Amino acid sequence: MKNILYILLVLFSTVTFAQNDLLFEQGNALYNDGKYAQAIEKYNAILKTKHHSEELYFNLANAHYKLNNIAPSIYYYEKALQLAPDDQDVKNNLAYAKNMTLDAIDVIPQAGFSKLVKNFTDIMSFDNWAKLAVLSVIIFVLLFLVYYFTYSTTKKRLAFISSNLFLFIAVISLVVAFHKYNIHLKDKSAIVFAQETVIKSEPNNRSSEVFRLHQGTKVQILDTINQWKKIKLSDGKTGWIQNVDIKEL
Amino acid sequence: MKFIKHISIILILLASSITSAQVKFEAKVSKNKLGVNERLRVDFEMNQDGDHFNPPDFSNFMVVGGPNQSVSNSWINGVRSYTKTYSYFLAPKKQGNFMLDQATITIDGETYKTSPLKIEVTSAVDIPKDPNDPDYLASENIHLVAEISKTDPYLNEAITVVYKLYVSPNTGVDNWQETDSPRYNDFWSQNIDMKNQKVQTGIYDGQDYRFLVLRKTVLYPQKTGKLNIEPLSLDISVQVPTNRRDIFGRQLMAQAHRTVSAGNKTINVKPLPEIGKPADFSGAVGDFKFNVSMSKTELKASESLQAKVEVSGNGNLKLIKLPKISLPSSLEVYEPEHSENVQTNLDGMQGTVSDTYTVVPQFKGNYPIPSISFSYFDLKTETYKRLSSNEMVIDVLEGPQNIGNASTNVIANNSKQPVVLNSNQFAFIKTKSNFTSITPSYFFQTKLFWSALLLPFLAIPLAFVIRKKKADRDADVFGNRIRTADKLAKKYLRHAKKALGKKEAFYIALEKALHNYLKAKLHIESSDFSKDIIKNLLVERKVEAQTISDFISILESCELARYTPITIVTMQQDYDKAAKTISLIDKQAS
Repeated sequence: MKNILYILLVLFSTVTFAQNDLLFEQGNALYNDGKYAQAIEKYNAILKTKHHSEELYFNLANAHYKLNNIAPSIYYYEKALQLAPDDQDVKNNLAYAKNMTLDAIDVIPQAGFSKLVKNFTDIMSFDNWAKLAVLSVIIFVLLFLVYYFTYSTTKKRLAFISSNLFLFIAVISLVVAFHKYNIHLKDKSAIVFAQETVIKSEPNNRSSEVFRLHQGTKVQILDTINQWKKIKLSDGKTGWIQNVDIKEL
Repeated sequence: MKFIKHISIILILLASSITSAQVKFEAKVSKNKLGVNERLRVDFEMNQDGDHFNPPDFSNFMVVGGPNQSVSNSWINGVRSYTKTYSYFLAPKKQGNFMLDQATITIDGETYKTSPLKIEVTSAVDIPKDPNDPDYLASENIHLVAEISKTDPYLNEAITVVYKLYVSPNTGVDNWQETDSPRYNDFWSQNIDMKNQKVQTGIYDGQDYRFLVLRKTVLYPQKTGKLNIEPLSLDISVQVPTNRRDIFGRQLMAQAHRTVSAGNKTINVKPLPEIGKPADFSGAVGDFKFNVSMSKTELKASESLQAKVEVSGNGNLKLIKLPKISLPSSLEVYEPEHSENVQTNLDGMQGTVSDTYTVVPQFKGNYPIPSISFSYFDLKTETYKRLSSNEMVIDVLEGPQNIGNASTNVIANNSKQPVVLNSNQFAFIKTKSNFTSITPSYFFQTKLFWSALLLPFLAIPLAFVIRKKKADRDADVFGNRIRTADKLAKKYLRHAKKALGKKEAFYIALEKALHNYLKAKLHIESSDFSKDIIKNLLVERKVEAQTISDFISILESCELARYTPITIVTMQQDYDKAAKTISLIDKQAS
């Protein structure tokens, strides 16, 4: 009974996959014909089936860019980057989209050790770091057993040193995986969708204006109170914005 | 002669004795009731000469003239009448009822006083004018008038003040001088130049007049409420006709100076309605057109374009703030150049004001310019109107790309054109995709992850245990022997054990097993397989005699068994014996 269910599930999923592929191709064809709005509809239909991919977000963002929809295009480029953080095409086109934004916000550059750490931990996703940890643990155990059961001194020495090396790798990758996972949990960013929005000093309408943002600006969400979100810009400015004005990534 | 002298003295004495009996000293006023702009004459009259005349204190009046002394002496029918009068001309200082105090005089050593007089000063009365007075004539024939177009304008609505000097046809004006220029506080004002103005004819107060427009001013009220326009004052030299004529019959003209002023008016400025006031309203009132234009929309990076924000029309153009254009931050925008082309006439300001921005794109890409809006108050409909510009897109066709970090955008300016792969293109869509579920499934921190991470460590204590067990086993000699025997038996007597119970098959299998064992252990060929050879070989291998005989006996019993009935118990015994013997041989054979 369970097996049949699995088979049905697999069959069903392949059906939707096939459908999505068709929609994707239709969308691409429409895009190539310059019918960007219709292409967006096709791409959105795929998203409605609760399936996504980096390429889908990328194409969707491109279509929005061609229609000069600043906020949606940046939003979907960021989505694509979440799935594929190192894709050069996405980074390239995101730079084009960011040219359209009105707000000039400085990015505080990371320097020294923190930059080094970031560059190192960004090699892989936390999932891959976790996998590396598991793999290293397995190799460590195997090498340890080799060390334990062999009698020749050179072999023993070699096995001991390499097993310790793998244990070290396992610990490091586990730490990195936890670090990246925490960043992943904390990193809730959003894109400003409102044409122009006022950032308040408190989460109510009475409070004074801190600054103004325009559509397409990326912000970090720090806190939520009722209809308001506390946001932080990449240059460190913070304030409260209404929920409706932003869309979470 | 002496006689005459005496007579006259007697007569004088007589006369004086008569008059001295009747000394009069009284005060008379020309009128008891007068206007504040009128004058009053007070006479102090006495019929005998006196000394030390002391006039009263005219504290409420101003002494315009006097004291004038007059004496009259007359003889009528032999009766002499004598009067001496002190007269004063007084002008009242203010309205009210005043008492004119007593005046004193000393006549023949006696002090006489007048009785106090009551005088009532009323408000100004029309004084009948002397028709021949040049000043009066000037005032009648010259008028300065300020005409205000609207006395209840809106804030920032243009109103005009026109100053006209009316002069009657028979009067001439030589010269005029402004003594007081109006200052228009709380107004934005502009005088309209009135050069080469011609004298026009017009009607003032129902009469024909000549008039000259002296000044036109356009005012934009900057404050709501009642605002005062200060008067304009002129000092004019006027030629007025007199009644006199010269010998040729022409009228003689008299010159007079006249100060005229006009226009101390109050204007009630209405505030703009609060209802429907747009958020971006910046005070523009009138009728406007709004336009945002670009000199070009397609260009290369580092070329420049002009973006012009322009408001044209009729209204307070010089007072409005143009809306700022909001351009993407990645465009280089310079401070706008403000230009005004505004003419001011009686309808207010007309023309164009514009801000021109110079924009230099640095990077390739599309730059949408969001629409900006301009709101103003329309006086005709008395409503607010909003004009919005169209949204435009600047398309930068060629140029470096904005990657985010500036270091990559250093443009090498070589004279040679390097052939570079243009990687800075807007990338085309991707055509292949693998869709995954939108709900993320992570491996990290799942049960599988933890078990895969931690379970391998269990192998280490397991290894310890295994190794310890092995060592124990190696140490146990007796157990080892049994285990070897079991192993050997298992190896060679497997078939025999299977056939246990079936006599024929069992013994054939047992014999075969024993032979096989010997073949394996002692390398005996099956052809020379006899008991003696086996015995010798086993002896050579230093197997104990007892064991050898046991082995031989098993072989014999195998042969015998084919012909004798044998029970299952014997079979079991033989099997066990075979197993034991094999193990013993295995141990003893060297």
